[in-house]
Amino acid sequence: MKHLMHMMVAGASALAIATPSFAQTVKQAQDSYYVSAQAELQNILALQPNVRKAKNVILFVVDGLSIPTITAARILEGQNRGVDGESNSLAFEKLLPYVALSKTYTHDAQVADSAPTATAMVSGVKSLNGTIGVTQAAQLENCASQKGNEVTTIFELAEQAGLSTGIISTARITHATPAATYAKTAGRDWENDTNLTDEAKANGCKDIASQLIDWPAGNGFEVILGGGRSNFMKADQADPEDATRMGARKDGRDLVAEWQAKYNDASYVWNKEQFDAVSPETTGHLFGLFERSHMQYEHDRPKDTAGEPSISEMTSKAIDVLSKNEEGFVLMVEGGRVDHAHHAGNAYRALTDAIAVAEAVQTAYDKVNPEETLIILTADHSHVFTIAGYPARNNPILGVAGKADDGKPYTTLGYQNGPGAKVDEPRADLTDVDTTDPDFLQQALVPLGESETHAGDDVAIFAQGPWAHLFQGVVEQNLIFHVMAHASDLPTKAALASAAK
Amino acid sequence: MKRREFLSASVLAGAALTLPRTALAAAPSLKFRDLYSRGRELTDTAKALEGQEIEMIGYMAPPLKPEIDFFVLTKLPMSTCPFCETEAQWPIDIVLAHTSRPVDVVRYTDLIRTRGRFETGFKTDEETGFVSFVRLMDVTYEKL
Repeated sequence: MKHLMHMMVAGASALAIATPSFAQTVKQAQDSYYVSAQAELQNILALQPNVRKAKNVILFVVDGLSIPTITAARILEGQNRGVDGESNSLAFEKLLPYVALSKTYTHDAQVADSAPTATAMVSGVKSLNGTIGVTQAAQLENCASQKGNEVTTIFELAEQAGLSTGIISTARITHATPAATYAKTAGRDWENDTNLTDEAKANGCKDIASQLIDWPAGNGFEVILGGGRSNFMKADQADPEDATRMGARKDGRDLVAEWQAKYNDASYVWNKEQFDAVSPETTGHLFGLFERSHMQYEHDRPKDTAGEPSISEMTSKAIDVLSKNEEGFVLMVEGGRVDHAHHAGNAYRALTDAIAVAEAVQTAYDKVNPEETLIILTADHSHVFTIAGYPARNNPILGVAGKADDGKPYTTLGYQNGPGAKVDEPRADLTDVDTTDPDFLQQALVPLGESETHAGDDVAIFAQGPWAHLFQGVVEQNLIFHVMAHASDLPTKAALASAAK
Repeated sequence: MKRREFLSASVLAGAALTLPRTALAAAPSLKFRDLYSRGRELTDTAKALEGQEIEMIGYMAPPLKPEIDFFVLTKLPMSTCPFCETEAQWPIDIVLAHTSRPVDVVRYTDLIRTRGRFETGFKTDEETGFVSFVRLMDVTYEKL
């Protein structure tokens, strides 16, 4: 038996060439699925663990990228290109071969929000829902409780060690995920000074936007690109993209001007034309705020008033700026609006934003030396989004899967709860409805009109590069920080740099 | 100008669903996505419908108060009244819908088909002081 096993392994490693005896033993050896799986096997056998130090780390966080979202996005991306969707692969599925499952529960919740999950990823500890950059000891929206319980992030270690750092988000740059890289706050909603509670003000807590500008680590982020402009502007400043709207701050601080005054190699941009004009060679610090609030969904981006770069374009420019540092860089790229589209019960935008992130991963991979760059893609939490029924192969992923017991069609994609549910009424008849329309809201069971919810199932971690092979099995979400730290040796580098000062 | 005093409309696609037609007679339909070409620039399609009776499909945002004769038509469900939540991050692609009688409220997650006279251009409501950019006048509507 052992001998037979060896023979089979040997046969498998002989690429897809089936020897006569092998072909006779395995009757389906010429089957197209069999042959393609043999090729896939060879790709896996060729993988060699990379144990060198990671010069660079790029962490893609796709907010709300549940595993069904990955599957559906993969199918949609293929179908949009006119190829088989089910067997299609998104860029990160092809480029990041090491995969683990991530347990996303938080210190106080079965189902997470984006605040403690981001802290887990960039600081290595679990904490309470709604808190950012603090340990489990800090209580929600209790400023006093966060004192002394602030964490150190991988970005702060990188700055201490002399690396460059960058954050990109299609959401507000003060939103939970990017905020976890620099902010320490018991309240994720404290994005500008007007959001602070009396208790927070009394105990000296600062809003998230001001913490970004006042971030004491090294010489600050070299790249900041995202939305959330109003949180950095004074209430008497008209927005440059829409003069009818004003900044949010009432403390008199013009944070954009303060940031500009800090550097002599800086570019601040707020539209696509300005972004395109930025020269990475001469720009040491880049700050882009492209929307008052979140940036546009990828589907809606072409109609934006002043124009916005894509997440791929932002990633490309960021790497150009950051990679000038010979010591390396740490970059977070957040696809922040997959989550928002899911909350709206709108699968189309969730999937098209997920596809946009996949393109950004390809861009990043092409621009760096993958042998010295740890690239990770993961989600912070799941969503109650499902792929259902028994639709035929190549059925439009946004289409109808079949008919239910009520005689009405039901779609392949749906939500367990959210805006797509009726209140005490039968569900809508989709017989003449174009369910592939970008604005169609998938039906849901439980009516939660304001927002579909997150889900507690595990999410995936994909990785490639130095020590990427450490991502295997089912792991705690906060392991991500520990792998990044191990691969880059940043805790040691930061400690040595501090000692040398 | 305060956020709550400004009601505008712009960008983005609309509830362009092919839905079963009911008792309403045919009128040109305008999708949210065909309202603006970019920013607050109206499309030629939208410009050509100025003054005409049209149909739009969307969602009724929760009205400001009971016994009111207008509501906001949105592309996607919005759970908050645009005038009640000054800090709400409202999209700019919203349409002010004036009704000839007090609004019979439809839940904000239920699609409605509206029909009314299409008007564009900034206009300040004399009674409320609210400013709008795209309106449907003398609106009737039905739940889908």
